[in-house]
Amino acid sequence: MHLAGQFVRRILQGVVVVLITTFLIFSILRIVPGDPVRLIVGGMAPDNLVEEIAQKMGLRDPIPVQFGRYLSQVVQGDLGNSYQRPKNGMMGQGGDFNANMDVEMAEVSDLILERLPYTLQLAGLALLISLIISFPLGISAGLKPKGFISKIAFFISSVFVSIPNFWLGIVLALFITIKLGLLPSIGYQNFAYTILPAIVLAVETCPFIIRTISVSFAEISQEYFIKSGKVRGLTRNGVIYRHTLRNASIPLLNLLGIQLSTLLGGVIVVEYIFDYPGLGQLTIYAVLQRDFPLIQGIAMVTSALYVGLNIAVDLITYSIDPRLES
Amino acid sequence: MSNLLSVENLSLKDRSTSNNVLRNISFNLREKEILGVVGESGSGKTLLSQAIVNWLPENLVISSGEINFLGKKMSAMSENELEKEIRGKEIAYIGPNAINSLDPTYSVGAQLLEKAVSIDKGNTSKEILKQKVISLLDDVLIPSPEKRFYEYPSQYSGGMMQRAMIVDALLSSPKLLVADNITMPLDVTVAAQIIKLMRVLRDKFNTTIIFSSSSLPVVREISDNLIIMKNGSIEEQNSTNEITSNPKSEHTKELIKNTPKIWSENINFQNIETKPILSIKNFSKSYKVRNKNKFNSFYQVKAVRDFSIDVYEGENLGIIGESGCGKSTLSRLISLLEKSDTGTITFNGEDLSDLNKDKIKNFRQSLQLILQDPYNSLPSRQTIGRIISEGLLIHTQLSKMEIKEKVLSIMSEVGIDQNEYNKLLVGKSGSFRQRVSIARALILEPKVIILDETLSSLDQKEQEMLLSLFSDIQAKRNLTYIFISHDLAMVRKSCNRIAVMYMGRIVELAKNEILFDKCGHPYTRTLLCTIPTLDKNPYDKNLYLMDGEPPDPTEIGTECSFKSRCPHFKNNKKGSTDMGLIEIQSGHWVDKCGVDCGR
Repeated sequence: MHLAGQFVRRILQGVVVVLITTFLIFSILRIVPGDPVRLIVGGMAPDNLVEEIAQKMGLRDPIPVQFGRYLSQVVQGDLGNSYQRPKNGMMGQGGDFNANMDVEMAEVSDLILERLPYTLQLAGLALLISLIISFPLGISAGLKPKGFISKIAFFISSVFVSIPNFWLGIVLALFITIKLGLLPSIGYQNFAYTILPAIVLAVETCPFIIRTISVSFAEISQEYFIKSGKVRGLTRNGVIYRHTLRNASIPLLNLLGIQLSTLLGGVIVVEYIFDYPGLGQLTIYAVLQRDFPLIQGIAMVTSALYVGLNIAVDLITYSIDPRLES
Repeated sequence: MSNLLSVENLSLKDRSTSNNVLRNISFNLREKEILGVVGESGSGKTLLSQAIVNWLPENLVISSGEINFLGKKMSAMSENELEKEIRGKEIAYIGPNAINSLDPTYSVGAQLLEKAVSIDKGNTSKEILKQKVISLLDDVLIPSPEKRFYEYPSQYSGGMMQRAMIVDALLSSPKLLVADNITMPLDVTVAAQIIKLMRVLRDKFNTTIIFSSSSLPVVREISDNLIIMKNGSIEEQNSTNEITSNPKSEHTKELIKNTPKIWSENINFQNIETKPILSIKNFSKSYKVRNKNKFNSFYQVKAVRDFSIDVYEGENLGIIGESGCGKSTLSRLISLLEKSDTGTITFNGEDLSDLNKDKIKNFRQSLQLILQDPYNSLPSRQTIGRIISEGLLIHTQLSKMEIKEKVLSIMSEVGIDQNEYNKLLVGKSGSFRQRVSIARALILEPKVIILDETLSSLDQKEQEMLLSLFSDIQAKRNLTYIFISHDLAMVRKSCNRIAVMYMGRIVELAKNEILFDKCGHPYTRTLLCTIPTLDKNPYDKNLYLMDGEPPDPTEIGTECSFKSRCPHFKNNKKGSTDMGLIEIQSGHWVDKCGVDCGR
């Protein structure tokens, strides 16, 4: 019962968070310079036509009015249509007068749903790789904070955290794809195209996970209920698996919640370098083309994912440690 | 009878400094004996207990000597054998840190069951083991054990956790139980319950017990034989009666001399009935706590209920009660750190209830609070001089030189060397830090000082020193003290008048000698019977020690809140709703319900 109550309360809070983020993005897009209509109709179009189309699209109304209209669409499940991307997937080049006013535009929700699986795949693989590296290193470093493995873990984290991701991406593409021909790297045709970008992302997230695991393991190991396990007659491994791991997993889960949400939001630089067709890449083009409905849709979906993941993480940690609830 | 355990010339060495922390400890322990070990902190009693269970800190090693258990040399046993047969099995250990002994993320029952399964090695079904855990929880008097089995450590009180840890130790039916300082963090009433329980369990389970504590009267209650330790060696060992009635070594004699006398020593306080300097009328405070089982609903925790008292100028008023009775909330209310829900406070004839800012600023100079924890209540990165001058910097516009002069004179008044002015607190003892707190409070020349458990983290000797400092300062400055404490022995020595608090209310208020000799409320009697002392206690524990713990503060109704523990209350009767203090003789106030019950 109490978990359900918590759940309802958190969902309501989450809805508010999503609404605020969306409103912020919505207004900032309209406040900063750059008129989407100019990009839609092309550079050669006369000013009065731009103004006319803008009026017709409602872009000259007060921002709250526009936002209200947008929201009423959203609650009906309609995220709107893209300003730039036609349904058939062909992109107009923009420059020409009246380039694509007659073509039917793609729905934002379709565009996002089309890209989301790729991003999920990339984020999932990246997280998996970094957990495989971080768990053994972090745990053994945490159990013996002055030991040899702890030094290795610290060394690896320092190196990983200092490598710029764009550089690593280029180097990997150069050596593994071009020189060795082991894995493909540009674009997407099959699963193999996910591996290199995932490695780059994993290298980025690893240091945080290693650090969190080792610190929380070291901290929990100092707790009296862990140290006294020995004198109570419990075995060392039993104490580590049943008690240290369980207690140390709470800060780790919180970190994973944040890391995973960041990864899902589309990792712009990495997707751009590898020309990976995920949400990140979609975001870049949407911003460059001032594609308001698309940017708003992506912002809303990613913030909803972020909120949802963190609610899930909180509910899991509550069920591990009941004291956290109050 | 055969020896269960014999320790021969045991010495322990610190690897890094190669100092001996235990020297030549030898003793024998017969089966079913209870051996008491008494020593101040740092005397080595905890290390001795840990050496016996083979659970020493990593930097310590046995440098010479031998521990024989059941005729076998422990040094000859492998770590594997120790883990499988001895530690937590044949020899069980209970420490002072019960509240942190179990994983907060599993229920208490699950963890006791985990241990039961671990020692049983799969011979018995889980269901039977669970029944065993529950019946042991029942043996240590945990109320409704079937329900409590599923509760988490954070839902247990300190006393209940200590009981659960006793169950944890008994699960393996150990031959030897090492109880190291187990009553230290507990309230006296709960500590007395635990000791009574240990005796019952010894008879029921035939366990041999080593019971160590820093308090001789506590250990005397339970032990057959005694070891007195000092600085890592044994000063004296003999039967308990022999040691307490006829001590041989100087250290033991001093120990007995320093044990607080309650009834055997005459106290003499002047009768102070001057004008009230501080007068509190009908203070109440409740807190809202979220009800986790219902959506958006709250409990009321009534921390302080209808509290009224007049504090006379120049007196020492003691306010005593168990933990959770609302003492600390009260100190925050009196010092206006929190606003009470109802009631008025008058200081020096001036009503402060309207919370006028200027009046409160003056009031804060005149009333100072000294807290319990000398480590966290002082900033660690400021020099001692800076800490003490804080009040002057806030309340006055004195020049730097004038401030320094004042600080130095206060420092010498409370016995801090003037060379310490520019030093930090790093590495200073608890009593030194409390002197700094006292200096910081005195610098503003207050009229009233509230001492909220100020002395309870200090040992006997340090307490004595600070108490005499307090009375010197009082004589010089005509101060009024309010001692808030759970330590009856300390209050006996220092206070003219004593108020007993239970569940946020005063149940009895009387002069020191009247309260200790002719108390009127059954709760006061219970508190008094549990005081650890070597004196003959006029209140017999077998008659007055109550079971159970204070009720849940969210469930206080309009009835007498003591009814769940009151020995005079019969279950078929409704608790009295007629509460409030009445004066049964001049200056002796007792709760109405308690007067009826006491008869």
